[in-house]
Amino acid sequence: MNDWAVVLAVGVGTYLLRATLFVVIGTRPLPGWTERPLALVAPAGIAALVATMVLTDHGRLAPAGIAPLAAVAASFLAVRASGSVARGLVVGFPVLWALSAVGL
Amino acid sequence: MSAEGPGDRPVATEASRASLAWEGARHMTPMVLGIVPFGLALGATIAASSVDPGAGAASAPLILAGAAQLATVQMLDTGTAPLVIVVSALLINVRILLYGASLAPWFAELPLWRRLLVAAAVIDQTHFVCTPRFQQGDLDQRGRTAYYAGAAGWLIAAWLGAQAVALVLGAHLPDAAHLEMAAPLALVGLLAKSTADRPAVAAAVAATAVAAVGAGLPLHSSVLVAILVGMAAGIGTARATTPAAAEVEP
Repeated sequence: MNDWAVVLAVGVGTYLLRATLFVVIGTRPLPGWTERPLALVAPAGIAALVATMVLTDHGRLAPAGIAPLAAVAASFLAVRASGSVARGLVVGFPVLWALSAVGL
Repeated sequence: MSAEGPGDRPVATEASRASLAWEGARHMTPMVLGIVPFGLALGATIAASSVDPGAGAASAPLILAGAAQLATVQMLDTGTAPLVIVVSALLINVRILLYGASLAPWFAELPLWRRLLVAAAVIDQTHFVCTPRFQQGDLDQRGRTAYYAGAAGWLIAAWLGAQAVALVLGAHLPDAAHLEMAAPLALVGLLAKSTADRPAVAAAVAATAVAAVGAGLPLHSSVLVAILVGMAAGIGTARATTPAAAEVEP
């Protein structure tokens, strides 16, 4: 019962975070000065998520090994060079497996 | 958004809406490949935990956000106080408010009930994949909705499917395959696409540093703090590099 209440509260709260601005903004366009900050949400947000996944462990600074970091770098460069997001996985995983296999 | 006048945008026909939904799904596929291993691992974690099985299963569709769901389940399992769990999980998700701010204007022409439906799928991947596509400016409201529906529908179906499979069958991901790296490797591709100018690069670098160094911030707030600091760094860089084009302040 307690578990249900907590899950429901997190679910409802998360939905409110999602929906609030869809209701508030309605049909009014956002003021122009919001354009730059909102354009920066994506690069800052993705970088923060990736950094949390590969540079930290359970709330501590703990970089993953050489192989995962090299794989992330290879994915980044592969997508930069090709323009295709799918290329990140196609290049990153072989790099990760190869370096892991040689013990890095 | 853009400076084009009303009525300039091409109208999406029935056929082009279907193909736009398909395009959205295709563009989402690298992200889907990134989240499926996470969904499998999360489902297996829930199945092995002491959390009420019904509540554990319901947490996937109710929360629809992996990091907050994992934190919720882990804290329930360790007997953390309910209020602390809810506050922590919602703090992890405050970034979704920013994604909503960024996505909502693209759906302003929809009736409220449909906007509320669109809002249900606002998450990292839908924001990161859809916003750049919308910014190309060639889609009208129906086209954007179709693209979003294809992208979000595929993401959510795969996410819930992966967790359901792991809950029912259990999941043992082969350690040697390092599938836990699928999500960062898929996301870093989006990072490569979204760091096209100097402010974006500054935002990404600052956010990376803060997320790494601030990992121990209370209540799992490091990602949110990292995003805000990153945005500030990007805004500062934009002001420093384009002094002549001073942004119009009220």
